[in-house]
Amino acid sequence: MKWIPLWMHQLSSPPTFYRFASVLRPWCIALALILTAVGLYGGLVTAPADYQQGDAFRIIYIHVPSAEMSLFIYGVMAVAGFIAVVWRLKLAESVAMQSAPIGAAFTFITLVTGSIWGYPTWGTWWTWDARLTSELVLLFLYLGVIGLYHAFEDRRQGARAAAFLVLVGVINLPIVHYSVQWWHTLHQGTTVRLFGPSKMEADMLWPLLVMMLASKFYWAASLCGRVRTDLLSLESGKQWVRALAEREGR
Amino acid sequence: MMPGSLRAACVAVLRRDLLLAWRRRGDIALPVLYALIVTTLFPFALGPNDDLLARVAGGVVLVTVLLAMLLAFDALFRPDLEDGSLEQLMLAPQPLALLLGMKILAHWVSTALPLIVIAPILASMLHLPAHANAVLVLALLVATPLLSLLGSVLVALTAGTRRSGMLLALMLLPLCVPVVIFAAGAVSAAQEGLPWIAPIAWLGAALALMLILAPLACAAALRIAIDA
Repeated sequence: MKWIPLWMHQLSSPPTFYRFASVLRPWCIALALILTAVGLYGGLVTAPADYQQGDAFRIIYIHVPSAEMSLFIYGVMAVAGFIAVVWRLKLAESVAMQSAPIGAAFTFITLVTGSIWGYPTWGTWWTWDARLTSELVLLFLYLGVIGLYHAFEDRRQGARAAAFLVLVGVINLPIVHYSVQWWHTLHQGTTVRLFGPSKMEADMLWPLLVMMLASKFYWAASLCGRVRTDLLSLESGKQWVRALAEREGR
Repeated sequence: MMPGSLRAACVAVLRRDLLLAWRRRGDIALPVLYALIVTTLFPFALGPNDDLLARVAGGVVLVTVLLAMLLAFDALFRPDLEDGSLEQLMLAPQPLALLLGMKILAHWVSTALPLIVIAPILASMLHLPAHANAVLVLALLVATPLLSLLGSVLVALTAGTRRSGMLLALMLLPLCVPVVIFAAGAVSAAQEGLPWIAPIAWLGAALALMLILAPLACAAALRIAIDA
């Protein structure tokens, strides 16, 4: 099993990752498109209407995958950020920083769809509920990370400083969540569970799971593209970029 | 006290920062003045209704103190960074975290303490009842060092950047949400005659934790941000 650490080690070098991402990206895009089409068909056409909320509940197929992605991407950023701070790996810095705008976008979508969903069901666009407030704080965290990254003139130094902020945020986020919960709550509890039975009909559940998978592939594709361009500009003086530009550039 | 010993270094940093703050007494007055102005604006915006003002007084004073501290944060490392003494601190043989802890203490004394002194006056201008006012001062005594410690980590991260004012506010907001919730929770509980000690105890627990962790995190952040 020695090839796994060896492969990881090779993958962390920018030119290797560049080629790997170029191969991976089209597959991820294709899978994301197919899964989104299947998931949306299942969610909008075949799933029955909710007995209480009617068709309004169907926004769940956008809202819940985005909400899950907003946390998932923060987790990825935290792991990459930890590697960037401790081992100063260029690829980890790039992954952490290029994940931030994608995560911020998913967080924003979560807030907007939640607000659209809230109006017909709760009767209000916005309320200072625990989950909504934590999600808003998460958006501020993402924006703070992006802002700090761009405030530095040296991009690698900016990436390390912002990665440190990501780690501070990891400790802070649960504290914010529980303190806000202690303060005020209205949002419903967990419905879908990884372990144990979910409190949701199978007809309604499977499109949701498909959409969650689709959003993962979309994220992977988007990250591959972003990290590729980032590596090109970070390594613009290096031999492999020059060779690439001579081969492909015009 | 041996010259060059750990204690001598800490005392020297503390003494230097307090002396510098004392020599520029006008700068100490600015956050206090700012807090006074912001608090004065609230009755104009909300109308001179005494009941309404009394209801929001605790929260208004807390947020005002927080904003005044936010404005003063930039002065924590900026002058030392510009004259090069911060690099000297980083090169010193004594642990950087401890020396930074002294700097944070001096900064707290010179910016937050005057604000805590003026806070009960501001709160009574907004008709906060006397017993809630006492709880407000207690909450501020625990919450402001906590904010100073949390803020110092973020100020250290932005130390190497040109413009950091708005960025610092954006970065600080997620960190100060729990602090504001618990401090304001204590004041409003006291106002309604409920037991208010639990939120203060939570803040105290967080302060004890941050007293240890924040200087270490601040030192690590500073080493990343001023990486020559």
